[in-house]
Amino acid sequence: MTIRRNFLIGAALSALAVAVAGPAAAASVEGKSICYITAANSHFYVTPTNEGAQAAADAAGVELTIVSEEFSPQTGADQLNSCVSRKVDGILLWPLDANSYLPGLLKAKQAGIPVVAIDTTAGEESMKLIASFVGADKYGQGQISAKQMGEALGGEGDIIILAGQAGNNTTIMRTDGFLADKPDGINVLATVNADFDQQKALVASRDLITKFGDQIDGVYAEDDAMAAGFLQALEESGLDIKPVVLGIGGMKMAFDAINAGQMSSTIMQPPFENGRLAIETLTKVMAGETVDAVVPLENTVVTKDNIGDYEPAF
Amino acid sequence: MMRLNIGTIGNVVVRYRLLVMLAAVAVFGGWTLDDFLTLTTLQSILDRAAVVGFLALGLTPILIAGQIDLSIGSIMSLAAYATIALQPDLGNVPAAFIGLGVGILAGVVNALAVVVFKVTSLVATLATLLIGASLALLISNGQPASSADPLFGLFLTDNFLAILTPRSVLFIGAALLMFVWLKGTPSGRNLYAVGSSMPAAISAGINVNGYIAGVFVLSGFCAGAAGVIQALSSATGSPIAGSVLLIPAITAVVIGGTRLEGGRGSSLATLGGVVALGALTTLSEYNGVPSYTQAVYTGLILILLITLDRIAGGDEGKTTRTLRSAAVAKQTQQGGTS
Repeated sequence: MTIRRNFLIGAALSALAVAVAGPAAAASVEGKSICYITAANSHFYVTPTNEGAQAAADAAGVELTIVSEEFSPQTGADQLNSCVSRKVDGILLWPLDANSYLPGLLKAKQAGIPVVAIDTTAGEESMKLIASFVGADKYGQGQISAKQMGEALGGEGDIIILAGQAGNNTTIMRTDGFLADKPDGINVLATVNADFDQQKALVASRDLITKFGDQIDGVYAEDDAMAAGFLQALEESGLDIKPVVLGIGGMKMAFDAINAGQMSSTIMQPPFENGRLAIETLTKVMAGETVDAVVPLENTVVTKDNIGDYEPAF
Repeated sequence: MMRLNIGTIGNVVVRYRLLVMLAAVAVFGGWTLDDFLTLTTLQSILDRAAVVGFLALGLTPILIAGQIDLSIGSIMSLAAYATIALQPDLGNVPAAFIGLGVGILAGVVNALAVVVFKVTSLVATLATLLIGASLALLISNGQPASSADPLFGLFLTDNFLAILTPRSVLFIGAALLMFVWLKGTPSGRNLYAVGSSMPAAISAGINVNGYIAGVFVLSGFCAGAAGVIQALSSATGSPIAGSVLLIPAITAVVIGGTRLEGGRGSSLATLGGVVALGALTTLSEYNGVPSYTQAVYTGLILILLITLDRIAGGDEGKTTRTLRSAAVAKQTQQGGTS
């Protein structure tokens, strides 16, 4: 009981220290504990993100516990509560929907545990309780893609959009950003949700190619995997057209396709870097430093002109 | 008669399986983690148990009656979505009652399919599982509904008496109530007779169809309650809220000691099963064990427990229980008519 009481007092004091001292008392975070609620344990994008987080935690000497939501926000909400119960020193959260994390976030606030969001933003109410968001500017990615498409097509042409899951925040951002900056001369023939899945994009593209054929001047794929799906369908069709294909992510397959001249460009979104940056931001908050509300990943466009300067992001 | 053999030892382990599991979790947790054995850990485990707990509670009488209900996850999703999606039109509280109503209605559909149309419960509820899951996605367009009043249901996860939260109180209360019903009332005891041997129950004059219909409606209600609680405490009505909870619910009930074959089980055992499973999950998460590895442990524990159950000569127990239940049923029946 004494140990527990001391621990409670310690936790309360350290919470107070964070609240009162502010940036002046930039203490070391070594030996502190962080709970990282990640989207999944094994996934082509999430896994390297987790590895980045682990690397940064090791470098800072903090103890990182990774728990996986398996893409279920309900699971994540429970895990958030239990991380707060553990009285860890900081929480890194990968939000999967708008509201589910609210109870846990409120408890974290009461307990004085700082929370940083990674990759995706949550709802407005939730973000008020989150110290900082670390991830790519996905709306900006849409805007950049619109500009690339406009330049490549000379401002005019018919395109198709291969979008991610309906309702997914990343999908909404990348679509809205693209449509906001799209030149008026560019006409969207169809928008299909291929769920960030190469196989689904392949099936959808077969239909689109059959339907629109040589009308297709450009393809905006909201990630590289879907762009690869389209290229595969195009090759199968034997159709002699060469549309402008844009992707996002900077996957190895996109690098290969750009080198082969099949794809026009992609935007780097390095997962390892995202994980590393998120932990670094969280440790700054834990040490009492002020951080920006949004810590963006730089959006670097990779085309055949500059591809030699970069390594695939994942 | 004391017979000291593997059977008796197995019997002891099986009888106190939940205590053995909880003790193992506590010892291992205390050994590997500095801050595991605290009241807040207990609070967190009990709180997390509430939602899957209601599903498991509904399933307990179903299994005792020798039936199965696979549709509880889908029912929960429908109820969760209704609870949030109807809030703007009906208000927060009426919408929650509609959520419960959705559960009861789905339970009635299951009861009709099993009792009136004589479809095996496995097949009937497999069908309603599929229909319910698709219906939830169709109505919601695949999108979770976010509450415009996210703070309304947050009290459900507030602190209460150090180790509880309002929603864990609801769950524990429901489990105690069900225990009183199952063990303390004639209708509860008759249910065991129905599950042990249907012909015997029929010949004892028990309204078997009535009992089976009743447990399906109860199960629907419990799944509805799980959906409402989940939706309100997360301020989100997800059309897939329950889809991942069917298997954990069944696992918890079986770990508790309720038999899939019917005629045996208890709601307190289910309560223990849910808590033991929750404690194991929490321990694994605290230790950073990946979720897919956790599933392996759960599977191994299931096989171990069921095997011990068999070695311990559970069938012997079942026979005497069957006879006893039938005898009780007969007495009740006679008592009722004379």
